[in-house]
Amino acid sequence: MVDLSEIASGFRHASGGIVGVGRGRNRQVAIAIETIAILAILPFVLHPFFVFQVTMVLIYAIAIIGLNLLTGFNGQLSLGHAAFYAIGAYTAAIMMNSFGVSYFWTLPAAAVICFMFGFLFGLPALRLDGVYLALATFALSVATPQILKIHIFEQWTGGVQGLVIAKPDAPLGLPLTQDQWLYFFTLAVTIIMYVAATNLIRTRTGRAMMAIRDNPLAARSMGINNPIYKAVTFGVSGLYTGIAGTLGAIVVQFVAPDSFTIYLSVAFLVGLVVGGVGWLPGAFFGAAFILFVPNVAEHFSQGLSGAVYGLMLIVLMLVMPGGFAGAVRIVSSFLKKPSV
Amino acid sequence: MTSLLDVRNLHAFYGKTAALHGITFQVDEGSVTALLGANGAGKTTTLRAISGMIKRSGEILLREGSLMKSQTEDIARLGVAHVPEGRGTFAKQTVENNLRLGAISRQDKAGVAGDMEMVYGLFPILKKRRTQQAGLLSGGEQQMLAVGRALMLRPKLLLLDEPSFGLAPLVVREMFGIFRRLNKEQGVSILLVEQNASIALDLADHAYLIETGRIVLAGTSADMRNNEQLRNSYLGY
Amino acid sequence: MELLGQQLTAGIASGTIYACIALALVMIYQAIGHVNFAQGEMAMFSTFIAWQLMRWGLPYWAAFAGATVISFAGGVLIDRLMFRPIRTAAVLTQIVMFVGLLAVLNSAAGFIWDFTSKPFPPPFGADPLLGSRLVSTHQATMVVATFLLLVLLYVFFRNTRVGLAMQSATEDPVSARLVGIRVEWMIALGWGMAAAIGAIAGMLIAPVVFLEPNMMRGILLYGFAAAVLGGLSSPGGAVFGGFAVGIIENLAGTYIPVVGGELKLTIALFIIISVLVVRPTGLFGATHTPRV
Repeated sequence: MVDLSEIASGFRHASGGIVGVGRGRNRQVAIAIETIAILAILPFVLHPFFVFQVTMVLIYAIAIIGLNLLTGFNGQLSLGHAAFYAIGAYTAAIMMNSFGVSYFWTLPAAAVICFMFGFLFGLPALRLDGVYLALATFALSVATPQILKIHIFEQWTGGVQGLVIAKPDAPLGLPLTQDQWLYFFTLAVTIIMYVAATNLIRTRTGRAMMAIRDNPLAARSMGINNPIYKAVTFGVSGLYTGIAGTLGAIVVQFVAPDSFTIYLSVAFLVGLVVGGVGWLPGAFFGAAFILFVPNVAEHFSQGLSGAVYGLMLIVLMLVMPGGFAGAVRIVSSFLKKPSV
Repeated sequence: MTSLLDVRNLHAFYGKTAALHGITFQVDEGSVTALLGANGAGKTTTLRAISGMIKRSGEILLREGSLMKSQTEDIARLGVAHVPEGRGTFAKQTVENNLRLGAISRQDKAGVAGDMEMVYGLFPILKKRRTQQAGLLSGGEQQMLAVGRALMLRPKLLLLDEPSFGLAPLVVREMFGIFRRLNKEQGVSILLVEQNASIALDLADHAYLIETGRIVLAGTSADMRNNEQLRNSYLGY
Repeated sequence: MELLGQQLTAGIASGTIYACIALALVMIYQAIGHVNFAQGEMAMFSTFIAWQLMRWGLPYWAAFAGATVISFAGGVLIDRLMFRPIRTAAVLTQIVMFVGLLAVLNSAAGFIWDFTSKPFPPPFGADPLLGSRLVSTHQATMVVATFLLLVLLYVFFRNTRVGLAMQSATEDPVSARLVGIRVEWMIALGWGMAAAIGAIAGMLIAPVVFLEPNMMRGILLYGFAAAVLGGLSSPGGAVFGGFAVGIIENLAGTYIPVVGGELKLTIALFIIISVLVVRPTGLFGATHTPRV
């Protein structure tokens, strides 16, 4: 005999669970919508230069997400991400200048190229760990500006002087300035890529990535094909940072070899740590940090700006070793206390 | 009987979680005391707390001095030699260097040399393997090395964490025979943590039973062995 | 053939420079378990201190000794103030701490002493050695000094109690504490020694590349590569790696066409990486088979 009361209580139980999940999910979605609403208004209230700067924050955030996927979630340290950024940037520049392609199509092209490059680099890098991987990726950063300056490629890369790119107009005659249009374009790409990243982390692939980071031996014995996952993660990471580079080239309208040095790679790493390793939203905090703080440091003291920046990094690491992610964690656990 | 180690109302924490809830026990001078209990009961935690490896509160007295404010290395220098779970051998160093490291805090060169000969006498296989990398030794040999290293400290108190773990029965018997010799001939006091209750009670003078961070039973090992109900419910034999 | 001989000699000469820095890097790796990314800037700053002491009237060897001692103290201070508080934090946090230290040292040096290149005296003069065309006195000084340092370090780690204690403190800090080793002191000592070795390296290198805040930039990378090539656990490997990198760099620049000087560094690095792919812990690094 079917027991209706049991079915009913089962139903109540299940719906309670769903509502519980829904509550948490709803809050996250609400925060996201509020943030996007604010971001959507910005270009109409800010001075054009600040619109440009916020656009760059979004771009660097995408780059840092790329690095986070590889280093934060998969445990492979990279000091070489300036290379991927450069590849994306030059893809855009060369396609637009030498081949007259519209800026829009440079993005998927850069995505494919950078993924391949990342994957191909990831394969030999499989056997390297820690410091040794750091050196290999370091070499990548050092090689990039040098390769870009080689004479043979000059007719495409513009050599040491680099290339100037035309700034695109808003399409369909929309009443937006170029800066505003590029801002919204970048914002759209950022949202898509951010959501893609969060979904990636939540899937089996994401869990496999993290398993490899936490215990490679155990991961292998669970049947995870480490080499493939590690190389693919490298590819995806390169893809993200490459797309950031593409957008960066279009927005800045200029590419040159010496913009993509080891200092850029280090900046990405600093942005990653300041934002919080293994925490995707941190990328925005980190990007804002590496874009604005050096300028703030210069305001303090022209001659000692580097020292001020360095000091701020030191103090930040002492006070918040987990970056903004750590700070948010402490604050939220502090707020949660009474309800338990 | 004077007490060598006096533990009073000891609490211990892993992060925010309390693992010991106020335990009290003693180790008498020259005795072997056993801490028994199931997996996860808090035996290893107790040894870690004594060695200052985790957060603790309460009181731990070694002879008259409190260990509560001391760092791990200072507690070792006071003569408390801890052979941890997992042996704690320096895998990349040679067997001989591991023994040297045991005596690294000592100043008396002659004494150290003599002790090393003594350890080689107890464990001839270590002498045979003296220049080999410690990480390549078998489980039993590493256990011997760990004990030998602890002895190089010329300890007043030897803390042994599950010395029988993962060893063949014959090796275990040999090892415990050596413990008995050390205790009777050299007067080394021993605090022994063991899951293998029967062999522990064979060696020990006193025993305490720990369950989820509390001491639930105490007595001489003879009492423990003879208490049939106790044996059936807690000790499984 | 003459060209090859010249390039080899040049390679060995620059190799000594890289070997010096590589030694300091390996030293601190043995002491604290991390690569000191700020080693170059620390060496540069120490050399400036020596320079300043000489400006204030001290003779060379007094300044040399003074800079070394001050650097030792500086190294200990850097550890206590900056790295001890984050000892248990993530590796990436520590790397960013290094970046901060780097930036401070570089900027401060430029601010205090400006960015123009300054000559720095070699300890025994730079004349050709005994009239030889191939080797100058200073190059010979560097080679001898590097080997002396190497021997001293070898003896220190192999034969002294402190050296053994320091190695174990890095290998297994928990077990080290259980045998009574004061791990924090060992790490601080390691930092001091690395800073002192860096100072000596800097004072040997400055006569060749001239003293200015960015003088160590390229050299640190080569030194890093050399240390990794040799295997981070081997001081001898570091020295070998230094010479190897110096020679490879010079030969690559001379004999690989098209790219010449521009890609010297890149090629050298990629050769090293190829070696690493085959031997992931460097040529002389200890292979540690993990027991499951």
